[in-house]
Amino acid sequence: MADATRENRFTPDDHIDPLVTLMRARQLIHEAQAAIEEVSKSVVQQRTASAELPERELRLAKAEIEREELAQRLAEVEHQVGRLMTLYVATYQLHATLDPADVQSTIAEITINLLGAEQFALILRGEDSNVLRIRLKEGHINAAWAEGETYSGGDPLIDASLLDGILRFGPAEGSPVLVTVPLRVQDVTVGALVITKLFEHKEKLEEEDRELLDLLGAHAASALFASRVYARAARKLRTLEGLIKLVRKG
Amino acid sequence: MNAVKTRKVLVVEDSRLIHKMYEVMLRPCMLIAAHDGREGLARLGENPDVDVIILDINMPHMTGIEFLEQVKAKPEFASIPVVIVSTEGKEEDVARGLRAGAAAYLKKPFQREDLLKIIGRLVPAQAAP
Repeated sequence: MADATRENRFTPDDHIDPLVTLMRARQLIHEAQAAIEEVSKSVVQQRTASAELPERELRLAKAEIEREELAQRLAEVEHQVGRLMTLYVATYQLHATLDPADVQSTIAEITINLLGAEQFALILRGEDSNVLRIRLKEGHINAAWAEGETYSGGDPLIDASLLDGILRFGPAEGSPVLVTVPLRVQDVTVGALVITKLFEHKEKLEEEDRELLDLLGAHAASALFASRVYARAARKLRTLEGLIKLVRKG
Repeated sequence: MNAVKTRKVLVVEDSRLIHKMYEVMLRPCMLIAAHDGREGLARLGENPDVDVIILDINMPHMTGIEFLEQVKAKPEFASIPVVIVSTEGKEEDVARGLRAGAAAYLKKPFQREDLLKIIGRLVPAQAAP
């Protein structure tokens, strides 16, 4: 508005003339009105801003809480992803080979590296007999049954698990066992993985370890069973091939 | 936007299970596998641009500590950060590993997020050239 009336602006060189005075007065009134309008606009803006301030602070605090919750959930999801990866790798590796020795070695690797066991034994029923053989032993297990090559009973937890196929945690009287995992194939218990000691830095078996123990119970035995069947079939095949060669030569 | 440079990780570890674990956990890093210390040195010679080395302690032919000492003795490899991941978790084991030049020590069994945190700290993500 000031610019629009610039050409009518009063200057000291103007003659004192009522018309000029009137124009000057008019110009001053317009300028004053514009200034008042600007000030009132600014006052309204300031009032609105100060009225919104607590609301904005509230929204900011809420957003901060949501951010923290999301970060926490993200950490939980990351942790779950890690657990699932562990289970996936354990399953994958158990079934990655058809060599019984490799499957046994994988069971040992899972027990040591993923469960943190320092002392353990793998007891398996023989292929052609009902004898329970100690197929794998890691560390010095302080128990009479661990001295021989076969398991003929004596530990209450192992005996119970072999009988009913249920996973059991120690401690129990007369048993050094921390956990005994029955190995089952088609609802038949064919052996047990027995852990008697964890590494010092692994204080105890956690709830998460239970999933891995269950996985071993279900997959270790079937992987071993499949590899044994394959090995037996491969042996028979080799024998038959040998016989055929002999017959052809004769 | 610049693409993030893929980290190159040398894994020196005798367990096939743990190799598979790293392969799944450290995707999309480029992994170079070695199954003992000797093979680790050979792989490192072929790949001198690795960003980080993940190292086990108990391995056949050459232990992790022997491997680490040899790596730190070579000026061209001495600056590569080494993370020991081992079942050997006693205080003296950790101290021995760190004294030999490891940048971090993680005890097995380990959590994936702990390993990622350590690698992220030692090898910050870089923009691809």
